[in-house]
Amino acid sequence: MKVLVVDDEPQIRRALRTSLEAHGYDVATVGTGDEGVVAAAEAQPDLVLLDLGLPDMDGTEVIRRIRGFSDVPVIVLSVRELMTDKVAALDAGADDYVTKPFGMEELLARARAALRRAGPDEPPQPTMRYGGLEVDLARRLVTSDGEQVHLTPTEYALLEALVTNPGKLLTHQWLLRRVWGQGYGTETTYLRTYIRTLRKKLGDEASAPALIVTEPGVGYRWIGEPS
Amino acid sequence: MAGTLLVLLTYYYNERPNGEVDPRQVGTAVAIFMLAVTIAAVAGGLWAGVAAALLASTALPLIESSGFRFPEGGGDVIAAVVFLAIAVVVGLVVGNAADERDRAARSEREARLLAYLSTKLLSGDVPDRVLDEFVQVLLEPLGLASCYVAVSLDGHEIEAKAEREGFPVGGPSEVIPIVVANIPLGTLIAERPKGRRPFSRDERVLLDAATRQVAVALDRARLDAKARLAQVDAETNQLRAAMFSSVTHDLRTPLASIKAGVTSLLDEGVIHDDRQQRELLTTILEETDRLNRLVGNILDLAKIRAGALISRRVPTAVDEVAEAVVARMRPRLTDVVVDLQLAPDLPDIPADPVQLDQVLTNLVENAARHSPAGGTIRIHATRTERAVRVRVADEGPGIHVDDREKVFEAFYRGRESPESPGSGLGLSIARAIVTAHGGRIWVEETMGGGTAMVLDMPIRETGL
Repeated sequence: MKVLVVDDEPQIRRALRTSLEAHGYDVATVGTGDEGVVAAAEAQPDLVLLDLGLPDMDGTEVIRRIRGFSDVPVIVLSVRELMTDKVAALDAGADDYVTKPFGMEELLARARAALRRAGPDEPPQPTMRYGGLEVDLARRLVTSDGEQVHLTPTEYALLEALVTNPGKLLTHQWLLRRVWGQGYGTETTYLRTYIRTLRKKLGDEASAPALIVTEPGVGYRWIGEPS
Repeated sequence: MAGTLLVLLTYYYNERPNGEVDPRQVGTAVAIFMLAVTIAAVAGGLWAGVAAALLASTALPLIESSGFRFPEGGGDVIAAVVFLAIAVVVGLVVGNAADERDRAARSEREARLLAYLSTKLLSGDVPDRVLDEFVQVLLEPLGLASCYVAVSLDGHEIEAKAEREGFPVGGPSEVIPIVVANIPLGTLIAERPKGRRPFSRDERVLLDAATRQVAVALDRARLDAKARLAQVDAETNQLRAAMFSSVTHDLRTPLASIKAGVTSLLDEGVIHDDRQQRELLTTILEETDRLNRLVGNILDLAKIRAGALISRRVPTAVDEVAEAVVARMRPRLTDVVVDLQLAPDLPDIPADPVQLDQVLTNLVENAARHSPAGGTIRIHATRTERAVRVRVADEGPGIHVDDREKVFEAFYRGRESPESPGSGLGLSIARAIVTAHGGRIWVEETMGGGTAMVLDMPIRETGL
């Protein structure tokens, strides 16, 4: 697995290289957005870790350029203060973000999830199981401990969007467009109401979630562990 | 004028009979003349009375021509003199009374003007606005075509000018210096319309008085500004000192533990067993987290102080944010019980979800820090008439009633826990964010003597 690290801080590059290599990844590092775009094209990495605060180019712009030729998963590294930048980066096509400073454990978990999603070797599972919850994607059937869970078509579409993107932070805008259609994007109140109903029907507790995590102001993430 | 008219009428009235005048009518005619002269003097003043008297005198020969004879020795002259005398006396008396009345009215107007100016000028309003109003107010009572003030206040040049429409400038003008305690502050220029009479003594006195009022007001504004600056300076210095000592201490402490841990691990002469290694690494991890929180808080505070806190307000569900905060903080809330109660009817509020998240995180963190092991943290959200109210209550030692406002000051730490691991910034950041949203945050006591932080976030969009 090849990982491209784009960050202008040499200390971060060194720390990431050391930790990632210790976990068996091949690591390439560059310090500018320009180099990042070139390296993403030439080295064809399996994963890009991209710092949003690059000196030469806006991180969002780097993502847009990479997306012009590649679907490689991109995880954004960003400081907490710039929440709107994160949302912009996600909407521009980033797969996830990790807030600096981050624990390697967290970064590696996100990296694994992103690689798994992008991996070609995983055949689409017709049925996903999360503890007692079963989502049959082929028959569009949801059961909880053997009991059928009755979902409206919109609720089901929302659940499908979540479970087919496990671990990925899905922005409000992305979910609205995916479930409701291209004309949507700002109707977060809708989305919230549906998420609430969905949680209730699936028996997930928002304050101690096992399935759907809320990222206030950004979106939702499916964290259900397949079993 | 009216009097003169009356005399003329009487004149014609008497002329019409032509010749045949009854001597008894002469008495009536004379009485009417006297009445006319008196009315003319009352209504028109001294000179109108005199004019009426002269007119009346010219009418006398008419009376004579009717055959009436005044007593020997130039009776018509006597009559004329009598008319004149009456006119002069009445005119003088009435004229004086009218003058008195005018003067009283004028001085009352002036007194009112000065009183108005002094309250206006000392209202503490911005000097620019006060001066604008000042020049405007002077125009009419003083019959000015234009009024102009230029002053220099702490190096700022302030000008104000007012003109009355339809009054061409270029008449007599007065230039009056504005001086306080021998320090010249500026100049006032008052100008009459073109072709009008110069300023009277009274008007000069009024102008002078008004100018003195302005001078006093400007002096006060200058002193106020100085006092404010001094206060801000003092506060800034105090804050800087507190910040410096606190930041120095708070930044160095975790750095010291991190460095100690790392050097210990790198020391090849010492062999740590697994448990020791883990312990050192756990310490390093915890301390980096602490350092990170502190740096984040200091940055937030700096942003707030610099006025750079920007809220991106969107319809936000307080309950959803509260749930997300509790979900995220679970790993750090293992020692306490969390009682989360969210009313089902909570409306969305206009708020920045990320900042609201930060506020609630700070409150829950604070509660967790002061909770005894096994204590309960109660997070309750309800709806009030105008706000969504969130109450975060702990079962800790509580906050002394005198300190309940102080906890929102930057770098303040409770007297019972001066070395607590908090940065002393969380609550002041929370308050800054809440205030920027038009909300309120305050401390209440709980039944068990613990602390409750109460937060009201307005349901409707408010200013700022």
